[in-house]
Amino acid sequence: MARQDCSFDRARYRCGDPVFPGGSIPLRLERIVLALTLLLTLASSLRAQSEDSDTQHPVPIFSAGMGFITPFEGGQPHLDPLISPIFLIPIGDRWLIESRDTFESDLSTPPGSDTFRGVVQKEVDYLQLDFIANPYMTVTIGRYLTPFGIFNERLYPIWIRDLQSDPLILPIATGPSNAGTGGMVRGGFSISPKVEMNYAAYYSTLIAVSPVDSDRSAGGRVGIFLPDQRLEIGGSFQHLLQDERSNSFGFHFAWQPPPIPLDLRGEYARSSRGSGYWIESAYRLGQIAAAQDYLRHVQVVARVQQFFVGSLPSEVLPTANTQEFEFGLNYYFHDNLRAVSSFGRQFSSIGNVNVWTVGITYRIVTPIGHAGSS
Amino acid sequence: MAKHFLVFCLSALAIGAALLASGQDRQADKPSAAIAPATAAATAAARAPVHDEVAERTDGEKRFKANCGRCHMAPQKFPPRMMATIVRHMRVRATLTDEDARLILRYMTQ
Repeated sequence: MARQDCSFDRARYRCGDPVFPGGSIPLRLERIVLALTLLLTLASSLRAQSEDSDTQHPVPIFSAGMGFITPFEGGQPHLDPLISPIFLIPIGDRWLIESRDTFESDLSTPPGSDTFRGVVQKEVDYLQLDFIANPYMTVTIGRYLTPFGIFNERLYPIWIRDLQSDPLILPIATGPSNAGTGGMVRGGFSISPKVEMNYAAYYSTLIAVSPVDSDRSAGGRVGIFLPDQRLEIGGSFQHLLQDERSNSFGFHFAWQPPPIPLDLRGEYARSSRGSGYWIESAYRLGQIAAAQDYLRHVQVVARVQQFFVGSLPSEVLPTANTQEFEFGLNYYFHDNLRAVSSFGRQFSSIGNVNVWTVGITYRIVTPIGHAGSS
Repeated sequence: MAKHFLVFCLSALAIGAALLASGQDRQADKPSAAIAPATAAATAAARAPVHDEVAERTDGEKRFKANCGRCHMAPQKFPPRMMATIVRHMRVRATLTDEDARLILRYMTQ
């Protein structure tokens, strides 16, 4: 009925009636308003397109962390070459495909031989599809790094870690491959201008096929970050949905006192297969006036850690109570290239050993496509 | 019906004008828009966006140091489209907030 009225009005309008039926607005005014509306709509659309072309559309990236580490465990030298390629493929405004693989070898001299031998180990660290659902949540499916504590997700890459050896408690709750396969939701948001909160919750299914093996488990992590103090504290929980169906939990902290280039980090983890902690400090000698051109490239690191055997046996955790102290010295040629070294002493009931490490780490980052002007 | 049509057109006009105005505001945020105006009033009007830009840059730098420095050394600046990918990756990996990611990307691409 209304449509009929409209057509009736439109018919009258087109017949040349200079005045709308219900009022005194002239026909010319309607045409002007209509034309202006169309022009402004078109202009807005063109401007929006222009702004879209100005915004930075992400480009796929290839990156790789590489290293050649020579550890001496108990006086026995090993050669550990490693390369870890990363692909980041953004799709649209909200999607990201990301993957990291690791190819590494632990070459050592078998008894009675002078030549180094070993096999190349391959691992898919993560291969995941991320969807930024809203400002507070990202949905991830695929294979992902288990978000338990902070070391596995954030500090594991060879070009990031300050000491090349893994913390003793790393395998707790991260499973045989440090990764899970399934789904995850995660995100961060501001509680107030001075407090931020981050979270991750996941479910992983059992996969026994290498190099994508994972345990069946569910868990999560919550953290509070104080940007002004640069302090983050948080906790993690995991329930194993296979075998003994045990629980694991842990706590972590990271603090960078703003006035000085000092990093303090630590984790505590507990499970039925073991428990322990590590605390690490790293200081960049940039504030020492003497020889600053050289010393600002130097970083000194110290870490103390302790592990306690649990009630259940484990194939990847130490078999005896262990304490370890490490001191490291790193030299940054530039942000992506550095020489690393460390000395540590490990104490346990099955024997005390020295752990030496020297090596070099490198990272490359390159776009796959046109990256825009710098 | 004609009144409704007129109201619709005027509403569309107002929305279009608002979109244009907001677009001009965003343009004014860009450094190229900070050309010295001829009059004192125009100069004062132009200073506000520049001030906002400085404040936003300072905020972005602060968030960059606080968030990125938690795990690794401050990285170099990459071309803008690379930074957009890296910040999206780090938003997921380091659970950055939406605001942190936006300001860090802006700071790193200036």
